Amino acid sequence: MTIYILRRLLLMIPVALLVTVIIFVLIRMAPGDPVLTYAGEEKDPATIEVIRKDLGLDQPLPVQYFAWLSHAVRGDLGRSFQTKQPVLQAIAERLPVTLELGLAAVTLSVSVALVVGTISALNRNGIVDLVSTSVTLAGVSFPNFYLGLLLILTFAYVVPGHIFPPGGFVPFTQDPGENLRRLVLPAITLATASLAVNLRQVRSSLLDVFGQEYIRTARAKGLRERVVITRHSLKNALIPVVTIVGIQIGAIIEGAIITETIFFLPGIGRLAVQAIPSQDYPVVQGVVLISALSFMVTTLLVDVLYAFLDPRISFETVRA
Amino acid sequence: MSEAALPVVLRVPRTGRATTFRSFARRNPRMIVGGILIVVLLFIALFAPVIAPFDPIQVRLADSLLPPGVRGHLLGTDDLGRDVLSRVMWGARISLSVGVISVSIGFLIGVSIGLIAGYVGGAFDLLAMRAIDALLAFPFLVLAIAITAALGPEIRNAMIAIGIVAIPAYARLTRGQVLAVRGRDFVVAARTIGASPLRIVLRHIFPNITNPLVVQATLGTAGAILAEAALSFLGLGAQAPTPSWGLDINYSQRYLANLKWWMSAGPGIAIFLAVFAFNFLGDALRDALDPRLRRSA
Repeated sequence: MTIYILRRLLLMIPVALLVTVIIFVLIRMAPGDPVLTYAGEEKDPATIEVIRKDLGLDQPLPVQYFAWLSHAVRGDLGRSFQTKQPVLQAIAERLPVTLELGLAAVTLSVSVALVVGTISALNRNGIVDLVSTSVTLAGVSFPNFYLGLLLILTFAYVVPGHIFPPGGFVPFTQDPGENLRRLVLPAITLATASLAVNLRQVRSSLLDVFGQEYIRTARAKGLRERVVITRHSLKNALIPVVTIVGIQIGAIIEGAIITETIFFLPGIGRLAVQAIPSQDYPVVQGVVLISALSFMVTTLLVDVLYAFLDPRISFETVRA
Repeated sequence: MSEAALPVVLRVPRTGRATTFRSFARRNPRMIVGGILIVVLLFIALFAPVIAPFDPIQVRLADSLLPPGVRGHLLGTDDLGRDVLSRVMWGARISLSVGVISVSIGFLIGVSIGLIAGYVGGAFDLLAMRAIDALLAFPFLVLAIAITAALGPEIRNAMIAIGIVAIPAYARLTRGQVLAVRGRDFVVAARTIGASPLRIVLRHIFPNITNPLVVQATLGTAGAILAEAALSFLGLGAQAPTPSWGLDINYSQRYLANLKWWMSAGPGIAIFLAVFAFNFLGDALRDALDPRLRRSA
């Protein structure tokens, strides 16, 4: 198993390098000159050249790339053109917001999917099943930024008492109650996006397991239905669910982009969205790089975990 | 077959077109629902200039923020007095063209890479697949945002970005399919009679692998419409005053606190219906065309 993980890690290196090249080339292709954006009112060509040199933008592209890369591997993602703050620090500051939102959403989505998916699978074609499959179908097609607006409209403005605020963030350490109150609507918005996929997966993998002979054996030997479902069915049915949920955790930053924008949450997603119009290259590069790397690493972890959970998968076959 | 059997076959009771359609519809309700919705959307997009009741861009401050149904504005008006229904109808043009164009970009490039990588193999296969892996290392929306930001926030660039992001799906799917049919008898036969590699790939292999690609393209259109709406919502797609569903929802945000819900209801429901139609049709096509990919859900 160690060999398998090492092999996968080695294979990740060329892909990660390619990823950095793609990011670098993409960001530098952006139209307009960031130096002029930062020079503001300054029109003196000599001063503009000084700023250009200051930002390191006077060097040829390959030199800029290797400078950026050699710093990046040492954890230095450069400084924001705009605020002069180190990019890694800017990301680290906003990470708790994004992580809190993402983990709350994944937890919500997985718990609802498990409960409703199990009920659906147990009463196939029953009321819960029909309602949940139709909601699932609608859920994958519903734009989640519109859902976010509908939630804000309903709970922050229409329902008397304004149960939840329309947005904003209060650190947990400052006021835990207010922090959680402000988390509810964004978490529901983000969770709905993955709920449909998770529900569908729980239901279909449970249905697959119900058809297996060991379940018939468990029932035939007189085990109580509760034991058959929890001990024998769910345990096996959850293996494919782990893959999907793992990928969702890896893509937390992606989901946070829209949700943080709607709810004015100071997370990593919003940091990137705000850096784009001001052509703050290091910030955009940093966020895209971190989100790609975390996506790659979680994909690897999921593969390893998957093989670990399902003894039928041997690493030899995975390798072949 | 004996000649006497022939008239018997011909005497099978004729079902007529209507009956055939009815039985097809009964067997494939999702295909019909999705198909009809798509036809309606296409009709609206094509004929928006004729059927839209108002000019979608013209400002009429006297009609500002009218609720649905007042003065002939079925879905109400926005703060500049622009008719929401007309903007939704014109917005269909953007959404559907992004759907079609970006899927075509992803399809053409992805399928070509997949065909060559699968058939030729070797160094090209290795390099192309590593590049595809690198593209797959990015979450979908993050890459689309990065590309759109690089090319400049414009609807044309959003189409290109969504198209590029879609390439890996087609490339991988095609390559896998090519590998599966490459050793089949009809390909070997074609090679034996001296057909050129190009002819083998285009005339013998490609026609045999189209089913999963059609399914992928249909579901991909749904994804592309949703992605365009998200990019425009973030200000990276269509720019004002162009009528665009995602952009209009973003614009409506500022009137949310004043409870002007109708400004976003039209475009929101339009996005849902369009994405739903392609997802529905795609799922039905998958069940009909590609039983191996069929999900048990």
